[in-house]
Amino acid sequence: MGSGCFFTLPWYRMELNLFEVASADMTVSCKGVFILNKTVFERGSVGHIRIHVLPTTRFKTFAVSLYAGIPLNEETVTTAALTPFVLRRGTVSYPETIQFRKQLEHLYGAGFGFDVYKRGNYQIIQFRVDTINDEFVSSSDSLLHKTFSFLGEVVTKPVTENGVFREAYVNSERETVRKKLEAIINDKIRYAAERCMEEMFRGDPYRLHPLGQRKDLDGITPASLYEAFQQWLQQANLDLYVVGDTTLAEVQELVEQHFTLGRSSSPVYVPVKSEAAGGDVRVVEEVLDVNQGKLNMGLRIPVTYGDDQYAAALLYNGILGSYPHSKLFINVREKESLAYYAASRFDGHKGIISIQSGIEIANYSKALEIIKAQLASLRDGQISELEMSQTKAMLRNTLLEMQDSAFDIVAYDFNRVLSGRERPVEELLRQIEAITPEDVVRVANSVELDTIYFLTGKKEA
Amino acid sequence: MEVITHERLRETVYRETMDNGLQVYVLPKPGFQKTYATFSTKYGSIDNHFQVEGEAETKVPDGIAHFLEHKMFEEPEGDIFAKFASLGASANAFTSFDQTVYLFSATENLMENLETLVNFVQNPYFTDQNVEKEKGIIGQEIGMYQDNPDWRVYFGLIEAMYAVHPVHIDIAGTVESIGTITKETLYTCYKTFYHPSNMLLFVVGGIEPEEVFSLVRSNQAKKNYKPQGNIQRLFDAEPAEVHEKRKVIKLPVSLPKCLFGFKETKLGVTGEALLRRDLATKLALELLIGTSTKLYQKLYDMDLISDGFGHEYNSNPNYAFSTIGGDTKDPERLLEIVTEDIKAVLTTGFESDDFERARKKKIGGYLRMLNSPENIAHEFTRYRFRGQDLFSVLPIYESMTLEEVNNRLREHIDWNQLAVSLVVSP
Repeated sequence: MGSGCFFTLPWYRMELNLFEVASADMTVSCKGVFILNKTVFERGSVGHIRIHVLPTTRFKTFAVSLYAGIPLNEETVTTAALTPFVLRRGTVSYPETIQFRKQLEHLYGAGFGFDVYKRGNYQIIQFRVDTINDEFVSSSDSLLHKTFSFLGEVVTKPVTENGVFREAYVNSERETVRKKLEAIINDKIRYAAERCMEEMFRGDPYRLHPLGQRKDLDGITPASLYEAFQQWLQQANLDLYVVGDTTLAEVQELVEQHFTLGRSSSPVYVPVKSEAAGGDVRVVEEVLDVNQGKLNMGLRIPVTYGDDQYAAALLYNGILGSYPHSKLFINVREKESLAYYAASRFDGHKGIISIQSGIEIANYSKALEIIKAQLASLRDGQISELEMSQTKAMLRNTLLEMQDSAFDIVAYDFNRVLSGRERPVEELLRQIEAITPEDVVRVANSVELDTIYFLTGKKEA
Repeated sequence: MEVITHERLRETVYRETMDNGLQVYVLPKPGFQKTYATFSTKYGSIDNHFQVEGEAETKVPDGIAHFLEHKMFEEPEGDIFAKFASLGASANAFTSFDQTVYLFSATENLMENLETLVNFVQNPYFTDQNVEKEKGIIGQEIGMYQDNPDWRVYFGLIEAMYAVHPVHIDIAGTVESIGTITKETLYTCYKTFYHPSNMLLFVVGGIEPEEVFSLVRSNQAKKNYKPQGNIQRLFDAEPAEVHEKRKVIKLPVSLPKCLFGFKETKLGVTGEALLRRDLATKLALELLIGTSTKLYQKLYDMDLISDGFGHEYNSNPNYAFSTIGGDTKDPERLLEIVTEDIKAVLTTGFESDDFERARKKKIGGYLRMLNSPENIAHEFTRYRFRGQDLFSVLPIYESMTLEEVNNRLREHIDWNQLAVSLVVSP
């Protein structure tokens, strides 16, 4: 799950949605670009940074994304997470944070920000800038050039004092990260989802939160952070994406100009080989002061993005719980009125299916039984033709409509970088169409319930 | 069919009003795969007391607009989601203070999906059983929001500001209020607010405008809607002053949540004038406490605010208020410093450089928003229902002056109108 740190925040939302099913995260592994519009990435490499450019005039902006990924590791997770927070405070040209932010506003409030999240066994830091195409505003020189000059400085030329990060910035951002880690508990839906994963992967680095561990924060100094940052710049997988009215040649030149890193190699991502774990189901109950109980489940699925069964796994998850026609929504919400949300999510980079629902505390056993019955019905092949065709249609729709968003196009393509598997959207669409109920049943029988996590209240409701 | 071209934005909007009063807008997005459609009624949580010309005055339970939205998805042949799924469309709906929106997005079967959307919203099917069943689901939805400190602190602020106006009532109502909803009350609201003359259909994406209009024309012609008189929305008089200066809610949180804002006294502004005031106020707040201001940086350096500290302005002809705030370890100190600084700015006014930059930021945000078909449909409808035009935002920003924004700030910041809402751990 990502941790957004954007300057322009989606603020308080005053609307109630009819339903919330799949979190945005799930769709990242099945979003895409369709070749109908001849939207093909042009690829190159400069200074061991991989470059991916999609020239198009469909958008009013240039969408620029830099992905930096390192293996998820207890030793480095917290320093890597803290780094972008310090980088956003000041650069050599804009040492004071106010100057830095004013420069962004000069770029028409370029949507600059970053996300820190986990993908497979990696910790990814994604920097994003969404700059207006000059044609829509009266600007004297190219906003794309200015954007690269800005982003290049943010990543490669942070403001320093005594050869290391500015101490005030490190101290202040350390508190920001601490507050973010402490605030996870405020949102009980997210808290329960993360606690479930933490329990499920208790012996694995995947248990770590992408923002790191609170206990590490105090030990980080400006010098140690700066050293870790230098290493990170050298060793991280770096992929730079641009979608907009530009060319590969232009972007390559801009990277040469603004991203001087002196890297000596281009590492590649090593995908997860997911395996069934075996063993008993673990049940974890946690008591907090809540009105509504949160029932979450973690399941292992031995299928990841690079596997041939990936399309069948998407079907499995879709029929189980990622749509309003899915078994979980129909049976937990519509038939039994037990929940407002009951959904499943497939993480195709780690091989996880997770289920989440918010229920009345007294209905725990009933809800658990109904959810388990849906898992069993899929194993037994209780899959109707209608469920197959509806789920295929929904997956097709998701894949096709993602190309209307520049950042979604990029997110789909990044799956290819992460997994090493080239799978254009048309190919995935064909694979989805060819899936039979038997294929889905095979996946269903390889899925193993691992962890049941229940967040419950102090008193029985 | 009327064609409205916005050359600088490279957008063209097509418009037609049906014989029964339904307004239809189409915005083609060449090159887009997706078509996104919203079918909206100017009816939200605040419309709980009303009278249609020539009919009796009616009061309805809190949360009924949202309840109705849930129930619309049920049809005699079952759940409408199944039909959308078969047509490869993802459908949803939402309810806010002043509108209810039904929507789908799809990349195929566009006309069938559009007809499905129009037909299901125009075909209510409520039974005693299906109404009872929904109470359990919405009860859980209410429970979910009760545990959400951001939602609580926001409504806490509106409750502190408003004593009478229904904007202070939770959109979903309460378990008790929805308990009194029956299929009869649902039909009453439905008949009043789902008349085509109170609704707007917006379609954006890779579509042909005439194809949409001809489908809607023949679809509506078959439905024999009788003309409906004007809907009077009745609001009891709201006192000008805030209801409570401060409201505190106890809920476990890692840091206290503090939201504050000013309740507008000058009401009754409508249409383009309201939009202009809205944009001027947002610009003023950006200049006052946005992320590149000295005040923001000072508060951040003092560890009094963190990421997530923000500001918003919500305006409607009969209520308007600002909201500012976020998580803080010390709400008292935060309020003290903010008050001091605002007082200083009120004397000096904003500087012209800062004004130009903030204006650029706002224009950039607006143009980025136009990349998203969803945002275009939602914002266009919201503006239209208030008698405003989404595409006039750019010229309004461009014609705005520093003096205007300074004046707006001085008008809005009235210390007697300040209210504070806190969520703190028990």
